[in-house]
Amino acid sequence: MKKAVALTALTGAAALVLSACGTAPEESGGNEATTDFLPCMVSDAGGFNDKSFNQLSFEGLQSAAAAIGAETKEVESNTESDYQGNVQSLVDEGCDAIVTVGFALSAATIESATANPDIDYILIDDPADGDGDGQADAENIKPLLYNTAEAAFLAGYLSAGYSETGKVGTFGGMEFPTVTIFMDGFRQGVDYYNEVKDADVEVVGWNGDTGSFTGGFEADATAKNTATNVIDQGVDVLLPVGGPIYQSAINAIEDSGKDIALIGVDADLYETDPSTQDIVLTSILKGMDVSTSEAVQQAADGKFDPTPYIGTLENDGVGLAPLHNFEDKVDPTLMAEVESLRESIIGGEVEVKSYLSE
Amino acid sequence: MSAAVEAPDMPGTPSDGVEKRQVTQVGWKAAGGLIVIAALFALLLVAAPRDGATKFALSRGSDALQIPLLEIPAMPLAWSCLVLMALIAAISVARTLANRTTSIWAIAAFGALFLVGFLAWAGAGSSGTLSIVSLLSGSLLGAVPLIYGSLSGVIGERSGVINIAIEGQMLAAAFTAAIAGSVTGSPFAGLFAAVLAGMLVALVLALFTVTHRVNQIIVGVVLNVLVLGLTSFFYTQVLVPNAATLNTAPRFGSWTIPLLSDIPVIGPVLFDQAPLIYLMYLVVAGVSFALYRTRWGLRLRAVGEHPKAADTVGVNVERTRYLALLIGGACAGLGGAFYTTVAIDKFGLNMTAGAGFIALAAMIFGKWDPVRAALAGLLFGFASNLQNVLSVVGSPVPSQFMLMVPYVVTLFAVAGLVGRSRPPAANGQPYVKG
Repeated sequence: MKKAVALTALTGAAALVLSACGTAPEESGGNEATTDFLPCMVSDAGGFNDKSFNQLSFEGLQSAAAAIGAETKEVESNTESDYQGNVQSLVDEGCDAIVTVGFALSAATIESATANPDIDYILIDDPADGDGDGQADAENIKPLLYNTAEAAFLAGYLSAGYSETGKVGTFGGMEFPTVTIFMDGFRQGVDYYNEVKDADVEVVGWNGDTGSFTGGFEADATAKNTATNVIDQGVDVLLPVGGPIYQSAINAIEDSGKDIALIGVDADLYETDPSTQDIVLTSILKGMDVSTSEAVQQAADGKFDPTPYIGTLENDGVGLAPLHNFEDKVDPTLMAEVESLRESIIGGEVEVKSYLSE
Repeated sequence: MSAAVEAPDMPGTPSDGVEKRQVTQVGWKAAGGLIVIAALFALLLVAAPRDGATKFALSRGSDALQIPLLEIPAMPLAWSCLVLMALIAAISVARTLANRTTSIWAIAAFGALFLVGFLAWAGAGSSGTLSIVSLLSGSLLGAVPLIYGSLSGVIGERSGVINIAIEGQMLAAAFTAAIAGSVTGSPFAGLFAAVLAGMLVALVLALFTVTHRVNQIIVGVVLNVLVLGLTSFFYTQVLVPNAATLNTAPRFGSWTIPLLSDIPVIGPVLFDQAPLIYLMYLVVAGVSFALYRTRWGLRLRAVGEHPKAADTVGVNVERTRYLALLIGGACAGLGGAFYTTVAIDKFGLNMTAGAGFIALAAMIFGKWDPVRAALAGLLFGFASNLQNVLSVVGSPVPSQFMLMVPYVVTLFAVAGLVGRSRPPAANGQPYVKG
């Protein structure tokens, strides 16, 4: 009996140790550090291998580290309860700049930044405005924001022109503003196409107020079920917004047996996940790699500037990926229209509404 | 209220001449519940009327028999459903006053009417179509892990061992199925490995609870955490770096059964699915038969109700419980295999996401009976798919609220509707001989 209790306790302890694995900061980066500036990064629950959001930011950190000759430390969060502890563990490691990836880490970042005014914080995807006064809550946080609605607008226009069934679909992970901004822009792009071409293309999965959400950012059976329901409405273009949930969408497309084009988000899916090459129409790019790298390098040079960065079509902070394999399936005149639409959005003749455009 | 009449002992009459009658009183739970639901629905229709028609699709584009799209004006349909619901509620009240129970069919009809009315309201004016086939077939798919999981619970607990570790069994199974399938390239190998993994976790559970008599709930919880930790660890350290070779599993396609799949509506739902779903029909029937119609089942239930009595007549209690847990583990393994051989082609962190616990709720809701537990699993699967279907047609209900619905249904089902649900008498008690 005693032995059994001890064994149970031991397995329990082992379980806890194992689940905690991966939260210890890992060192990586250049072999010989030429500077003792230490840039660090915390992922959100998606992890650094999500082929989109976290992965891109991580690449930005790596390229900055290579440019300044620094080592890096990074921590992967497994659950939402890890955020605060992971940021603190990087503070304890003596990091000089900490990049926190994602809207969900906002509160943990604000708290840590207030307590450690000497460390530079770079928060991706959130203005760090917990008290709602229109400014970041601490002077040492630089928010990196992306007006992806502009790029999604282009994708919406392209999809509407590409669609043969007259229906295009989208669904999101969780109903965060950083997710719905894609869906909003996409919808506005489709509406704009309908207006210009006097067409009647429908958007399934987002009506401007509510829509289809999986309730998480995992590529699981729930996400596939959500995708299946959108596909059953007869769409032939699908935009899943939220890290890895596109993988479930691909399985749903396979099962439907239909010819459905996928639109990626954040990174160019064609490059980050070669298995998708045959079905990716395009991707809505969010230039987190470049902007993260620049912000980290500024911090390393002692020129940290807490003014929020807003990525737009104009500064190439957001954009549309090349068509790759779909080059010959899309009408060149449609692409020319998309290109001139891009110019119009930059020039302000076409207005894209989003929470960042005010 | 009225009834509990017991024939009084008349003075002077011999008591053996009086027929003593036991009259049970019919509770107000059913009638009251129907009234409350009907009233809430009426409130919804009055407070938020919606214009337009709702389009119901009863067949898919690929079906042999095409049923035209039904386009029905939403509010008239919703109000007619409400009137019929009110009628059933009134009948139920009348029957309760007369001390008669409300028939289960009346409640089922009430539920169906409520559903049609609610769907009509939610889909009003939308350009999308409410596809009944996707609603039902998504419910069935969502229910697969719940049903297999609840069978695991039923078999274990009928033998007297509480099985909290269903979640762990399914997660371990999903993990091994992904690896075995990816390495061999065959979904059958994945399925086989999943069954083994489920049984392995069950073996550990049996070892601690039956042989060492550790508290069954604690062992179950610890096993869940252990499996979560192990799979997460190997996922991040091994599967992620080798995703192409170890985490790209082949999946079962759907096996269309000729003729049966051509039946309108239910054909494509029930008979155009992956083989794991057909196996589920057989396993539910098989477990039910084995529990109630075989010697093994009789002994198993005896061990779960009164292990000492079973031991006295020569049933080996420990061996029976071991075997029950192992068979249960195999069932949970099949449920876990659903995730990585049918649903999607890769394992993900904690991908069962609490399905094992909902399966436990289905078991309790199903009163420890395989068929009822399977029906409860279907109900939960339906609740979670409903939000998907409604959000696609653009229902006015916020997505966060809709995502909560399955859990609310679970809670109400277990707490309110289940009535008297009695676990096996020796459930959770280790058996000490002598």
